[in-house]
Amino acid sequence: MAMLSSTLPARARAPAYGGAIIGLALVAMPVLLLGWLILYPILAAIVETMFPVGADGARGFSLASYRFFFSDDYSLANLRVTLWTTCVCGLLLVLVGLPIALYLRFSRGRFASYVQALAIFPMFVPSIILSYALIRTIGPNGTVDLVLNALGLPKLPTPYLTPWGPVIGLVWDNLPLTVLMLTAGLGQISNASVEAARDVGAGPLRVLVSIILPRMGNSLLVTLSFAVLGIFSAFTLPYVLGPASPEMMGPFMERTFSDNNDPLNALTQAVISFGFCLVFGLFYVRSIARNRESRR
Amino acid sequence: MSAVPNRPSARTAVPPKRTVRQPFDWTGLLFALGLTLVIVVPLLVVGTWAFTEVWRYPSLIPQQFGLRFWSQTLARADVWNALFLSLRLTTVVTVLSAIICLPAAYAFARLSFPGRNLLFLSFLASHAFPKFGLLVAIAGIFLHVGLIATFWGVVLIQLVSTLMLMIWVPVSAFQAVDRRMEEAARDAGAGPLRVFWSITLPQAGPTIFAAMLMTFVNTFYETEGAWLIGAPQIRTMPVLMISFINNQLVVQYGAVLSVMLWVPSLLALIFARRAVGTGAFARGFGA
Repeated sequence: MAMLSSTLPARARAPAYGGAIIGLALVAMPVLLLGWLILYPILAAIVETMFPVGADGARGFSLASYRFFFSDDYSLANLRVTLWTTCVCGLLLVLVGLPIALYLRFSRGRFASYVQALAIFPMFVPSIILSYALIRTIGPNGTVDLVLNALGLPKLPTPYLTPWGPVIGLVWDNLPLTVLMLTAGLGQISNASVEAARDVGAGPLRVLVSIILPRMGNSLLVTLSFAVLGIFSAFTLPYVLGPASPEMMGPFMERTFSDNNDPLNALTQAVISFGFCLVFGLFYVRSIARNRESRR
Repeated sequence: MSAVPNRPSARTAVPPKRTVRQPFDWTGLLFALGLTLVIVVPLLVVGTWAFTEVWRYPSLIPQQFGLRFWSQTLARADVWNALFLSLRLTTVVTVLSAIICLPAAYAFARLSFPGRNLLFLSFLASHAFPKFGLLVAIAGIFLHVGLIATFWGVVLIQLVSTLMLMIWVPVSAFQAVDRRMEEAARDAGAGPLRVFWSITLPQAGPTIFAAMLMTFVNTFYETEGAWLIGAPQIRTMPVLMISFINNQLVVQYGAVLSVMLWVPSLLALIFARRAVGTGAFARGFGA
């Protein structure tokens, strides 16, 4: 084999079908893992919740666990607080992330690299350390309380153990990816189009609304989809910073699965989470596919 | 400029905008201050708590600094058990992930085979599901095969979260290797393995190392899978920290652990930022 290949020109060494077999063999392991630990569990969860094992030990079609979820006040309250948190976080992320991304895209100012470094920094802070840091900072008798007290100002109600606790933590945690993805999106807008608009007398707001935002539509939506997927089923931050009741879907699923030892209802909650995130997931996948298509 | 590159008169035609002195970057200052307040201060607070012995309420700074709680934290058996367990778990996951993913990354970057794009996309698509819902679905499977509350159960669930990073980043590393150098080596008579070892690996190596480092750190801090699958028998470091926070034990224990575990995270920050461009990273998530 070695002798044969050394006599052939470089291009002809690996015949196409041989490369295909080697290629498929090399990617087989992770693909199998993906199938076993992502695809199969999702399908199994759907099957198991829609065809539960009945009292007689046989499987039959039944939507009882879904009916229970959507008629149970506590489950609905959890779903509501999850949707509320997701919406508020998404809104805040755009409100905070977009100005930072715009600044990073268009400024040559002396603070640009410092701002970028700080905006990306939370990516390297594990959420468990973040939770701890936020409790000590905005929790009862935390640093914010100390500073307000020292300034002679009245105490603010602490967001710790209220729905605002997870909101603050999740925005902190998701800020880097939001800024990175929005900056990447802004990078596709040419300087020429912005300068052309400025030359005909458009103010900064006008440039933003008429030139930048219309071209940003897709990357804003991808950023939001990605944030929503992460926030909807967040676990650590809501578990540590949020109220015990109502709780977000992440802690709710964990408690149903482990503490209540009730996998059927936990899986039902998981499938319902998939359902609510389906639109965002599909949109996310579609735009990755399209981006790769256009880059080729 | 491109039409008449070298004539002096063209130089004077440079638009006057460039020569105007930049106004002071007030927006930048505002962002810098705001982000410092929001991002840096909470971390500084934890750092301060770690070296505090007494800090009672109305005082702005601790009454007494000291290292007493470092020795107390380090004297706890549960801390050492969790640390060694976490390191063992993380090493196993990172090594397995490298063995499984790196050859696949090479294949995705270099070889052409049927279904290549679809399979590659399917790895990115694994991010299209709400993560904890997915973990619960996996836990449902593990329940049937008896992997709940076992070491290997946690290894598997953490392995899933590493797949994307360990494939995506090395793929771009392999793609960035200069093909002409490889072909030159082959023309000089080097075999495929020799080319891979002497040309491809040294060029792609730093980025791959960065990916492994990021995987190691991410896995070390992975909380959700470890908590759902492992608890209460498998107590990793983050799981231990959650129980410290929940049980309202001595404040400093959590702070000391945070600062102590900060070291690997900071290492990753330095290496990974250098090797993996931020733009490539954002594109990896579909931006």
